[in-house]
Amino acid sequence: MRDPGIALDEAAPDTRARAVEVRLTQMGLGLARRFGDGVGGRLADRVLRVLSDRHPRAFTALRDMPEAHLLIDPVDAPAAVLLRVGPRLALRVCDRDGPAHVAVDAAVRGPCARLLDLLEGRIDGDALFFRRELVIEGDTALILALRNTLDGEDMDLFADMATAAGPLRHALPLARRHAGRMLDLLGIARRAAPPPLRWGMVALERRLGGKPQGS
Amino acid sequence: MDSFELICPAGNPAALRAAVDAGADAVYLGFRDETNARNFPGLNFSREDLAGAVAYAHARGVQVFVAINTYPQAGNLGPWERAADDAARLKADAVILADVGLLAYAARRHPDLRLHLSVQASAANVEAIRLYRDAFGVRRVVLPRVLTVPEIARLNAEIDIETEVFVFGGMCPMAEGRCSLSSYATGLSPNRQGVCSPASHVRYEPRGAALASTLGGFTINLFGEGEQAGYPTLCKGRFLSGDRPAYLFEEPTSLNALELLPELKAAKVRALKIEGRQRGKAYIAAVVAAYRKALDAFAKGQALPMLNLDAVVEGGAQTTGAFKRAWR
Repeated sequence: MRDPGIALDEAAPDTRARAVEVRLTQMGLGLARRFGDGVGGRLADRVLRVLSDRHPRAFTALRDMPEAHLLIDPVDAPAAVLLRVGPRLALRVCDRDGPAHVAVDAAVRGPCARLLDLLEGRIDGDALFFRRELVIEGDTALILALRNTLDGEDMDLFADMATAAGPLRHALPLARRHAGRMLDLLGIARRAAPPPLRWGMVALERRLGGKPQGS
Repeated sequence: MDSFELICPAGNPAALRAAVDAGADAVYLGFRDETNARNFPGLNFSREDLAGAVAYAHARGVQVFVAINTYPQAGNLGPWERAADDAARLKADAVILADVGLLAYAARRHPDLRLHLSVQASAANVEAIRLYRDAFGVRRVVLPRVLTVPEIARLNAEIDIETEVFVFGGMCPMAEGRCSLSSYATGLSPNRQGVCSPASHVRYEPRGAALASTLGGFTINLFGEGEQAGYPTLCKGRFLSGDRPAYLFEEPTSLNALELLPELKAAKVRALKIEGRQRGKAYIAAVVAAYRKALDAFAKGQALPMLNLDAVVEGGAQTTGAFKRAWR
């Protein structure tokens, strides 16, 4: 949920559209983890390349930093993200404890929605920390440098990724505008579906999200 | 009614745009080095950034002030003098300075550049302020956050330059520019290196159900489960006094002097300042918009609106700070 009085941009997705984006992010992390370093790695490279192209000031600054590894852990997602800053800037999806073969210098943990808001500068990181919604471990200067660098951008993860989707990018504002209605229709469809199909849909969602059965 | 000027922080170009769009009259910022008191990793403006910031702000009738408010190191005046030169060259509306040597340099080299005295100079009495005015042509003084409103009123009655006071944000309860607490614990200070409690020396670690914050190896606070946290500064550390852990200097809390607008106006304060160049642009947009709304209502003689800024304040608490501190 967005903090009252903190939303920056009236064109930003509303609460329900945002909930969909958060769920898609969680599912995307789960899928990338399942695909492994091959396909998952290429997906992460693609995300990084698109964001770098869209926000050169920030990503040049990240490349100028000394090499370090930062774990970004959405605690309600099935996987985390490891960001390597420095000249060999890289992004990888990994286990929530971080990859076994890499020494992690710092970690940021919090709900996926909060981390997404933080990435996009829609919420103040200090305020999250004061309220204990964000846990930070390790090299505080590294975390602060990343936060400050990204906050200097007007980043919108889904809009930025949509720009790389050719003509489909025009669908995003439409989808955001009608997200609430679409969710209502999906809910109606789900309730109307016969129980075996409904259970199948729930199981599929869980598998995509990487959450264990029965959780 | 003559309005207050609203002076707002920006730690990066996006934050500056947020401040301008939310209703700032002026935005203050610093260069990306030790010449300003918010020299934090990833924060602040390059020269190119400043040029863009000035263009954006001036196009919307908003001023830009450049804080060059640390104390130059002996034998290494270069970065501070270059900062003043570049601020003048890039058409900043004022520079905010603390060091007398730098004030003398700026007054001599850039006679048309407006000089403001930083809170870091801790000028809190009539004689000090008159000296800065007479010697360097300082046009405005940012008062330290240790004065009560009646003290400010008495001061303004005896000086003829503008005063600016902090009304919202992080509290610095010390004599600013003279505090060595951070330096004692880390070897780095806001006065020389532009960093109070540098992040490089801060660690957070779980201790049982509590969260410990350490600075330079010293444990300075233990936040219980669910307890709101604060900045890792020694002045807001919780220490054992006898057998009881207590905040000996100041609690984690944010200044909010909104309710004092009538008194500050009567005290002839010219400008109100929001703290927080280190904060995200979401904080800046929210706080500036809230204060803009309040100042507009105040200027029209309307009731001050209730501002819901609880979500962004340190420690989840707000105070009027020294403005109303009864024990003083």
